[in-house]
Amino acid sequence: MKIRTRLILWYATILIISLIVMGIGTYEEVAEQMEIEHRRHLWENALHETGEMVVSAGMPAVALGLLGGWWITRRAMRPVTALTEAVEKIHDRNLREQLPRTGNGDELDRLTEVFNTMTQRLDTSFQRIREFTLHASHELKTPLTIMRGELETALREENFTPVQKERLLCQIDEIERLAKIVDALTLLTKVDAGQVQLNFELVQLSDLVEESVADMKILAQPQNIQVKLNECEDISISGDRHRLRQLLLNLTDNAVKYNHLNGTITVSLRRNEGFGEIKISNTGAGVTPELQPRVFERFFRGDASHNSAIEGCGLGLSIAQWIVLAHLGTIQFVSEPNKLTTVTVRFPAIGGNSQRA
Amino acid sequence: MRVLVVEDEKKAALFIRKALQAEGFAVDVCHHGDEVLTAVKATVFDGIVLDIMLPGRDGLSVLKQLREQKNRTPVLLLSARGEVNERVEGLNAGADDYLPKPFAIAELVARVRALGRRGTEPQSPLLRVGDLTLDTVLHRAERRGKYFDLTAREFRLLEFFMRSPGRICGRMSIIENVWDYDFDPGTNLVDVYVKRLREKIDDGFEPKLLHTVRGAGYVLRE
Repeated sequence: MKIRTRLILWYATILIISLIVMGIGTYEEVAEQMEIEHRRHLWENALHETGEMVVSAGMPAVALGLLGGWWITRRAMRPVTALTEAVEKIHDRNLREQLPRTGNGDELDRLTEVFNTMTQRLDTSFQRIREFTLHASHELKTPLTIMRGELETALREENFTPVQKERLLCQIDEIERLAKIVDALTLLTKVDAGQVQLNFELVQLSDLVEESVADMKILAQPQNIQVKLNECEDISISGDRHRLRQLLLNLTDNAVKYNHLNGTITVSLRRNEGFGEIKISNTGAGVTPELQPRVFERFFRGDASHNSAIEGCGLGLSIAQWIVLAHLGTIQFVSEPNKLTTVTVRFPAIGGNSQRA
Repeated sequence: MRVLVVEDEKKAALFIRKALQAEGFAVDVCHHGDEVLTAVKATVFDGIVLDIMLPGRDGLSVLKQLREQKNRTPVLLLSARGEVNERVEGLNAGADDYLPKPFAIAELVARVRALGRRGTEPQSPLLRVGDLTLDTVLHRAERRGKYFDLTAREFRLLEFFMRSPGRICGRMSIIENVWDYDFDPGTNLVDVYVKRLREKIDDGFEPKLLHTVRGAGYVLRE
């Protein structure tokens, strides 16, 4: 129950009690008067008079009181409502913005001040985390570059046996993998800090989907996975071509990696209520329902024991989600373990509401 | 070809220098951003390898000033941040190429070499490596009378290899030129495509033309 409603109810109760008190008082006064004057029909007359007084004077007073009370509580609660609305708008990106203060020194002004200090502290610690990750990724890349360079130089200059050579080459592969993780992490940190800008232009979504299906067929060949493009409508959206390609390649890669031998992948692009809807379904182990809400989390890799053989760093879907959200779209992950896993991405289509006959 | 390497990490500067010298480049090294402008006044370089993160002045501001002084020496930017916007920023500031760290040495060498060639080579419509020919006008690849059925992407990949025969093509430059991606796809897409292309142009022929250089990339040579 809202504070305002509660206050009004209490107020109404108090008014009704005072009305009753007033009725009893009036009744006794009137009864006394009657006794002095006529000493006849005492009881009925007194009751009648009292009732009339309560109805004609008391009720309007109560109504007026309630109306006044409603108005006062509304006024009193207005700053609270305003504060709530302002606080509601706070999220991790605009912590630096301060709530406006009335400056009149009342309880709510104090509360606002406390809120402001709190968000400031939050902002500082968020900032520190972001800076840490940005610096960390930069500081990690330099030694990686040196390690890789040294290994390559050694490989070229020294005479190693094939076994030794293979070992060094494996190290280079691992350095490359580490570099990819650092890359992905840097990108996501920059995204968090609002430092990544997209270049929006008119993009023919169907072209990108066809292109990624072609790549998918190639990637799927070694595992003999069948790739089918069911439907590919002509749909344009406003988007960043590179990021959309990255998104599709991420999803393509997952559909192949988490598939099984002789599996299938089906892709479709169609118009659905003003949205361009891309659906990518693949066979494979899938993700259990209790883990599904976590697939977009960073470094989430499903059941680690199953996936340790699959290369990847668990940041692909986080990046995919960012790309979709940055295009004002939605992404949905539905998986039936050991049957079908479907990722559905929807983007606002240009001219999306026009129904074609 | 004389190259200036600007890199503050001494170890990195050392292996870059070694690698370039091994390929026959004359290499000068400086570790500080401020030294670049004096160095280019004293010597004429054919290319500059410039790290973005430098003590004193960062690479981008050095590059901007270089271009303001009408110095047109080709510049390859190196960056440890390796992030999309930075690449665009670097190219806008007047860089000719951009390479994110950590890189394969072969990739660096190939790009430095490309700096010298930039814009000077005519684009011939008929390419030939050994007995393999590629007609970029008719979109036809042929080896000893046999025509290959190539997809559009395989064709672009083959064309890319044939335009720099005998030189190692790094994964990143393949991704940039054939796929037009500005990010590392993190998949084995390139490897799978190259494998398919190799099956088409090399299976049943001797000598093999398309070779893998582990840890570096691919090379098409006789």
